[in-house]
Amino acid sequence: MDEHESPELTEDEKQLFADLMPEDLTEIMDKGVNRRHFLKLMTLAGGGILAAQSAVAEQVLTRSSSETLPTELVPDSLENAVTVACKVNGKARTFTIDSRMTLLDTLRERLDLTGSKKGCDHGQCGACTVIVNGSRVLSCLTLAASCAGKTVQTIEGLAQGNRLHPMQEAFLKHDGFQCGFCTPGQICSAVALLDEAKKGHASYVTGNLRPPVGPVKLSNEEIRERMSGNICRCGAYPNIVAAIQEVHSGQSVEQVFRSV
Amino acid sequence: MRPFTYTRATDATSAIKLLAENPHAKFLAGGTNLLDLMKEDVERPTALIDISDLDLNDIKPITAGVNQGGISLGGLGKNTDAANHPLVRQHYPLLSQAILAGASGQIRNMATNGGNLLQRTRCPYFYEVAMPCNKREPGTGCGARDGINRMHAIFGWSEHCVAVYPSDLAVALTALDAGVIVRSANGQQRRIPIADFYRLPGDEPEKDTNLPHGELITAIELPKNRFANQSYYLKVRDRASYAFALVSVAAALETEGNTIKQARIAMGGVAHKPWRALKAEQMLVGKEATEANFKLAADAEMADAKPLTHNAFKVELGNRSIVLALRMAVNGGKA
Amino acid sequence: MKEVTKVTGTPINRIDGIAKVTGKAPYSMDHPVKNPAYAILFKSTVAAGKIQAIDMTAAEKAPGVIAIITHQNAPKLNVKGGLRGGALLQSPEIEFFGQHIGIVVAETFEQARYASRLIQVTYDKKEPKVDFEKLAGQARLPKDKEKADARRGDVQTALRQATYKVEEVYETPIEHHHPMEPHATIAEWNGDHVTLYNSAQIVNGAQTATAATLNLKPEQVRIVSPYIGGGFGSKGGQWANLALAAVAAKHVNRPVKLALTRQQMVNSVGMRQHNRQKISLAATADGKLTALAHETTTHCAINDEFVEPCGDCSKVMYDTPNSLITYRVVPMNLILPTYTRGPGKSTGSFALESAMDELAYKLKMDPIAFRIKNEPDRDPSNGKPWSSRATVQCLQEGAKAFGWENRKSEPRQNQQGNYWIGYGVAAGTYPAHQRPTSALVKLKRTGDHVAATVELAAADLGTGTYTILTQTAADALGLPIQNVKVNIGDSSLPPAAGAVGSVGAASYANAVNDACVKLTQELVVKSGKQFFVRPTAAQLMRSEKITDYQTRVDSKPPESAEAYSAHSFNANFAEVAVHQSTGMIRVNRFLAVTGAGTILNPKTARSQIIGGNVWGIGMALTEESVVDPRWGNFVTRSLADYHVPTHLDIGHLDAIFINEKDEHVNTLGVKGIGEVGIVAVAAAVANAVFNATGKRIRELPITPDKVL
Ligand SMILES: Cc1cc2nc3c(=O)[nH]c(=O)nc-3n(C[C@H](O)[C@H](O)[C@H](O)COP(=O)(O)OP(=O)(O)OC[C@H]3O[C@@H](n4cnc5c(N)ncnc54)[C@H](O)[C@@H]3O)c2cc1C
Ligand code: SF4
Ligand code: FES
Ligand code: FES
Repeated sequence: MDEHESPELTEDEKQLFADLMPEDLTEIMDKGVNRRHFLKLMTLAGGGILAAQSAVAEQVLTRSSSETLPTELVPDSLENAVTVACKVNGKARTFTIDSRMTLLDTLRERLDLTGSKKGCDHGQCGACTVIVNGSRVLSCLTLAASCAGKTVQTIEGLAQGNRLHPMQEAFLKHDGFQCGFCTPGQICSAVALLDEAKKGHASYVTGNLRPPVGPVKLSNEEIRERMSGNICRCGAYPNIVAAIQEVHSGQSVEQVFRSV
Repeated sequence: MRPFTYTRATDATSAIKLLAENPHAKFLAGGTNLLDLMKEDVERPTALIDISDLDLNDIKPITAGVNQGGISLGGLGKNTDAANHPLVRQHYPLLSQAILAGASGQIRNMATNGGNLLQRTRCPYFYEVAMPCNKREPGTGCGARDGINRMHAIFGWSEHCVAVYPSDLAVALTALDAGVIVRSANGQQRRIPIADFYRLPGDEPEKDTNLPHGELITAIELPKNRFANQSYYLKVRDRASYAFALVSVAAALETEGNTIKQARIAMGGVAHKPWRALKAEQMLVGKEATEANFKLAADAEMADAKPLTHNAFKVELGNRSIVLALRMAVNGGKA
Repeated sequence: MKEVTKVTGTPINRIDGIAKVTGKAPYSMDHPVKNPAYAILFKSTVAAGKIQAIDMTAAEKAPGVIAIITHQNAPKLNVKGGLRGGALLQSPEIEFFGQHIGIVVAETFEQARYASRLIQVTYDKKEPKVDFEKLAGQARLPKDKEKADARRGDVQTALRQATYKVEEVYETPIEHHHPMEPHATIAEWNGDHVTLYNSAQIVNGAQTATAATLNLKPEQVRIVSPYIGGGFGSKGGQWANLALAAVAAKHVNRPVKLALTRQQMVNSVGMRQHNRQKISLAATADGKLTALAHETTTHCAINDEFVEPCGDCSKVMYDTPNSLITYRVVPMNLILPTYTRGPGKSTGSFALESAMDELAYKLKMDPIAFRIKNEPDRDPSNGKPWSSRATVQCLQEGAKAFGWENRKSEPRQNQQGNYWIGYGVAAGTYPAHQRPTSALVKLKRTGDHVAATVELAAADLGTGTYTILTQTAADALGLPIQNVKVNIGDSSLPPAAGAVGSVGAASYANAVNDACVKLTQELVVKSGKQFFVRPTAAQLMRSEKITDYQTRVDSKPPESAEAYSAHSFNANFAEVAVHQSTGMIRVNRFLAVTGAGTILNPKTARSQIIGGNVWGIGMALTEESVVDPRWGNFVTRSLADYHVPTHLDIGHLDAIFINEKDEHVNTLGVKGIGEVGIVAVAAAVANAVFNATGKRIRELPITPDKVL
């Protein structure tokens, strides 16, 4: 790529740079993207082989969305039916459900969004984490009925078209998962956590809570405490922390593969 | 989960009315405790009144009355917002810490201040409907009394129930002498001191609190104090995070020189309610803030403990935790 | 033709990673089916006895209920079909608390769950056998021949004569696998064929066992399991819920979704049993072992036996003239125990390696030196030479990398603030096997573009199977990885070994490699040409203008491997901080050094080891399932009561692999890493706790109350 080849960035691209390389954003906006920016972006986003892999992975391994979307198929026997209108991943959705139905079951069974997972159904694992009105919550302990008028973002809504969210890229690069079942919850939780840090939220390991509140730079220990509501039985914790730290700090976190 | 009607309340008055009319109705706030228990078939409301939209989430200074100079937390404010509000962090860091010691980021984003106060015990026999439990079904017996009771009470239990109360937030509120503001169906608002809000099990373990059915928690009031630079919330648990307390201690001191003017100590994980360690507090007032005095205070408090089959360790752990929490309070959070 | 650089052995990202980070990877319950009904199981609330009556009146009338199935109307199934744990609704007998006794099927999940609460059951109760403390004395010799007493030399005499000895009992509690994905099935019939979307570590095993149980031919049952949300042994053998989903779907003539709740998991899909292990060690003053006895007492199901091989490490780890390995087992009214990560080796190594640490301390020897002193030059249990063994290297390299020289040899010498700091070491092993596996490789050429599809009924439960097979096939065929597609997790593909017992990588990768080699050879023959430099299959497809070609192999381990004893070996190093007032323990640093032969992908391999370490740390510090001895129910029936480690429980973890070329174990020299990562972890932690505090904890987990 030539120096300052493309001064015009789309909104998506700006967002990507803003998320991944905030420290370079002003320069990019003024002078455009240069080779150094590009290389840095590639490192942050997981590197060359990624592009090649995405192609295979996309077509081979993902779930085919069913043609028979059950969304509007309402069993006649529904009791205490509630009609809910809300926004899911940017789209307006309206559905009629049993008042007992959780947001998690609604996403999975009615809206064909099976990315959010049911690990425990009791608020004890975090696999069902989604982002409602900008904050991370557990969809298994949320009644769908209570979501009327709210915006819901799930793992399916994080990527922009074919471009992964920086957090998804970082999880890939750092192998922040094994079986992958806790992953949608981990990623949604991590994405919202970065926002909480920007707002200056504290945690139990923060120490002195009294100084004025402002954006905080999270240590690995802070990330661990703040992510503790997301259990990973495969034990991908160190890799998840590395992925989050990379996106949070905007600095590439080294991967070490040691052998002697 | 039993079938229930779902109503979204738009104002407090009608919400309270709806609740008061139906003995089997429940308020739904964050839902993190209620839905959990409904899925287990422990709670069986026939109607849910969703109060989460009510405009009761402000955190603001109290400008008049006995608690002037203190602050008020909306009953429907989220735990996260309470913990992170500049007023709370600056003047009541003990409360922030206690909230942040509880549950997980996601749950604190959902959980409300009022709902947190009314969460029910985590006793595993209470949660399993196939087991006897006087709290869930009065008269069936207490599964834990002669069962597995490592997590259970060492203070104030009765033969009818040996459960502990799980909230961290309420332990800090107890140390801070908070008041719970409730509104009833006739529109009356009253203030229940936190010490009177909770109760011991006695022979009515089915009652966790003294809040009658049909009343809404609208706010929590924190009186002004001088504890902000000498307080600490210590939570000891079986894993590092996302676990209920084996023992927790909220400690706050006001000193002049090294002399203790006021001491507040409350414990979690040891009784059916947040346990105010009055004996320990009394021992400390007027004394020097030294390790030896902390130990004497802890000994005084724990002397009354009555452990069950599997939880004798809580007596020693409680003792050490009081000492440690006091030390950390004095040292600004450092050991 | 441009050269394609080799990718095997490089840390490429997971092939299935994109699907996983976007939420598009389909686990059991994520497959789309038309018009499903929802099933929920209900359970017995006594641990022993017989169902007297089931009152379903209210449940049958509940809205949305389509059917209720109990032993009274369930079809006749073959209880010896190979599913584990019974509970197939074939009789009113109750063998454990939480046994499935019926299924409710309804239009929605909410309706099924509600109706299941309305069912009233009465029982003829019997006194349950669930109190291990009381029953351990009645334990008897297991039926399993592998668990017969194994005696070499005379342990008793050696012990009697020794000045330096340790004779202690080590306890490990019941543990549950708790994979994040609860066991769940979607069953869909098509005539007399049924498709079961169901996570399976052993795809073909799930197929044959379910078919036999349902009285069908294997080809009538198809298991679809492209993604597995963790298994750790609990999705190796399959359980009643799989067949019952099929039964329910048949009964209501509709696809049925049946998921276990997290609470049901504790009584439905196996567990690791409570092991009471007595270790007796004797040594000379200069640290040469003279006796090693490992005697395990445990429990199994009331009508079925499973015993963890706790003595396995003790058989092969150290050189000793006198050795004794025994097992005793007592049946109890609890769910059948089963393979759990590092079966026998994780628990057995806790006992053995704790005892080794105790004896080293008595001998005033460095625990690493003590272990090296007793290093066997061949397998002491059968006299075979090692295919490769890296224990000494693991210990020495680990010591260097970890800073072992900073360890204080006496406990309670290292204080930092409010914490005691301690270092611990432990060594372990897990056997390496390659199992028969078939693989089909298909090549297709369009112009110059050659693409491969690799098919076998293998499983990837986060182990990296997709990725390593893509790498293996790409290199063996001369293709870039994006031209290779791997299809696994479907019983209609060529049969493969299970992803259990660390046999997955070795079995699958060797089979795929064999298939690619065979295919290339066939293309060479087909070309009728002679080559100086052997061309790749991709090159041959182009040069010979072949558009489609495929071949299949049924791969087996090399016979020569029989002559060797093949194991992965490791050494683990832990640094713990123990809070002086509260007893809370944190593993600050952990290092695992592993010799596992060829590492196909350092990224996924490191993750596997770290994952095993996290499991081991959980075993050491937090995990325990507790039974109420009066009723036989688990009081730790949720993830709030059963503590698996969280993010904050895990400090800095590091993994080092020994560059090891094992020429005997199999063609690719792969020994397997899935299990060895958990072996000797708990012991390293417990030994570090001793070094920190001077307290020797012989009963896991090491919760704060035990170190106060
Ligand atoms: C896995 C897990 C771990 C947890 N760990 C901890 C922990 O470590 N420490 C801790 O303190 N807590 C912990 N919690 C509990 C959590 O903090 C509570 O569930 C939460 O605070 C309850 O608040 P809520 O708004 O969700 O209440 P809800 O579940 O909505 O309501 C609880 C009860 O209060 C009633 N109610 C709610 N609001 C009002 C009101 N304004 N007036 C009158 N009645 C009302 C409801 O009718 C209901 O009976 C944990 C929870 C889970 C699921
Ligand atoms: S301790 Fe209380 S809550 Fe627990 S079983 Fe006994 S009565 Fe029920
Ligand atoms: S499924 Fe919601 S927290 Fe586990
Ligand atoms: S990746 Fe398997 S549970 Fe986290």
